[in-house]
Amino acid sequence: MQKQTLIMLAFIAASLVMSACGGAPAAQPTQPAAQPTQPAAQPEGKLAQIRAAGKLIVGTSADYPPYESIDANGNFVGFDMDLIRAVGEKLGVEVEIRDMPFDSLIASLQEGKIDAVIAAMQATAEREEKVDFTIPYRMTKDAFIGAGNTTLTLNKPEDAAGLTIGAQTGTVQEGWIQKNLVATGLTPADKVFSYERADQAALDLASGRLQLVLMDAEPALELAKQNGLKVLLITEETAEGGKSIAIPEGASDLKAELDRIIQQLIDDGTVKQLQDKHGLP
Amino acid sequence: MEFVQDLLTTFNFIVQGLWVTISVTAVALTTGVVIGIVLAIARVYGHPSLQVAVTVYSVVIRAVPVIVIIFILFFVISRYVNLSPFWAGALALGFASGAYQTEIFRGALQAVQPGQMIAARAIGMSRLQAIQSVVLPQALRLALPAWGNEATLVLKDSTLVFAVGVPEILRRAQQVSARTFEPFLAFGVALLLYLALTMITTQALRWLERRYRLHA
Repeated sequence: MQKQTLIMLAFIAASLVMSACGGAPAAQPTQPAAQPTQPAAQPEGKLAQIRAAGKLIVGTSADYPPYESIDANGNFVGFDMDLIRAVGEKLGVEVEIRDMPFDSLIASLQEGKIDAVIAAMQATAEREEKVDFTIPYRMTKDAFIGAGNTTLTLNKPEDAAGLTIGAQTGTVQEGWIQKNLVATGLTPADKVFSYERADQAALDLASGRLQLVLMDAEPALELAKQNGLKVLLITEETAEGGKSIAIPEGASDLKAELDRIIQQLIDDGTVKQLQDKHGLP
Repeated sequence: MEFVQDLLTTFNFIVQGLWVTISVTAVALTTGVVIGIVLAIARVYGHPSLQVAVTVYSVVIRAVPVIVIIFILFFVISRYVNLSPFWAGALALGFASGAYQTEIFRGALQAVQPGQMIAARAIGMSRLQAIQSVVLPQALRLALPAWGNEATLVLKDSTLVFAVGVPEILRRAQQVSARTFEPFLAFGVALLLYLALTMITTQALRWLERRYRLHA
């Protein structure tokens, strides 16, 4: 919550600075071609830029095994990392991965700091307003987990009504809780807690401060195994579609090429093979 | 034995962020010192309009959370000036610290007896000469204890640069924690590293204070 306030403040401050600067460099905009107001009319698209640079710069938040994490030698490892390298190979460019907080990924993509985001990210309507997404490379399920000694049982997501629940800030799961439990009055707002990372929520689950955590199913299985937690329900109802690669808004050429490559990797079994490698169901 | 092994692996991984933390802190403190001393002199001895401008800078920057300054530099300013995440983060910390250091040095300059300035002027020094060779040397000594405090605060604020993707000590601890699910070990190592850095900084400044103490 606090973090979102900060980011909002940042954007307010940013727009202030921009409007303040708006007057001064008025003499400069002789090259407004750089502003992608009409992506179709652009002579050089994002894909061509990436090919020319020979490098695809990809942002991720490397604290989410088995999708993305950093091994003891400092290498990026996980399902997403292997997949994006396979994509890079098909594109014929080198892949450079940059680690940053999940909350900063979209902003970095919008500002052109990175070319794409792969971070087990789902294409939500809110995100779609700011960036574009490829076709999903993997459909998702969510899991409700509880403490190891919990006596709770859930048969459907709505059974979570009224219980203290945690989720990672800015995730689809948090959005689902707000929309389906808080906005409908099933759960009071002060029983919902947001965490910077899902493993922090799991720690509060173990210590008894939370009754439930809603998160992606696969890392939930891993967390539950490591910390002796109990998986209460695995469901598709709270998930919105699948995980996609995010790309800059209007980069239609890049989207077309990535969609084609992803479909190809799904069809030739590479995705399935990588899922097995990383123990994903 | 397994614990020692885990500890070593964890330490070896996190310690690679040490240099990043030190560099960010060093750049921020250096930027802050330059801004702080120059603005403090302008604030105390400058033209009234300059004094107002410095006061505005100091009040505004101290009112804004450091992380917001980092975001502005990395996401807005770097549209016009090409700043890497490291420089955006370190300079943002420097601008923030500069505002606090302005107040530290202003206090120190004002603590030097006014008679010193009058006497220096009376023997024919210009205002600039008097500031340079009479007032400032005394003020810097007076500023040291408060400055040491600011240095340790900047060291800890350096954790914020991860918001734009600079892998300093704390982020590395998060990465280990996410992989091994042993937050206690990971953040414990981070704590020890920060403790060591703070102790070294404090000792160095204590030595400086002794070294340059005026024997009245």
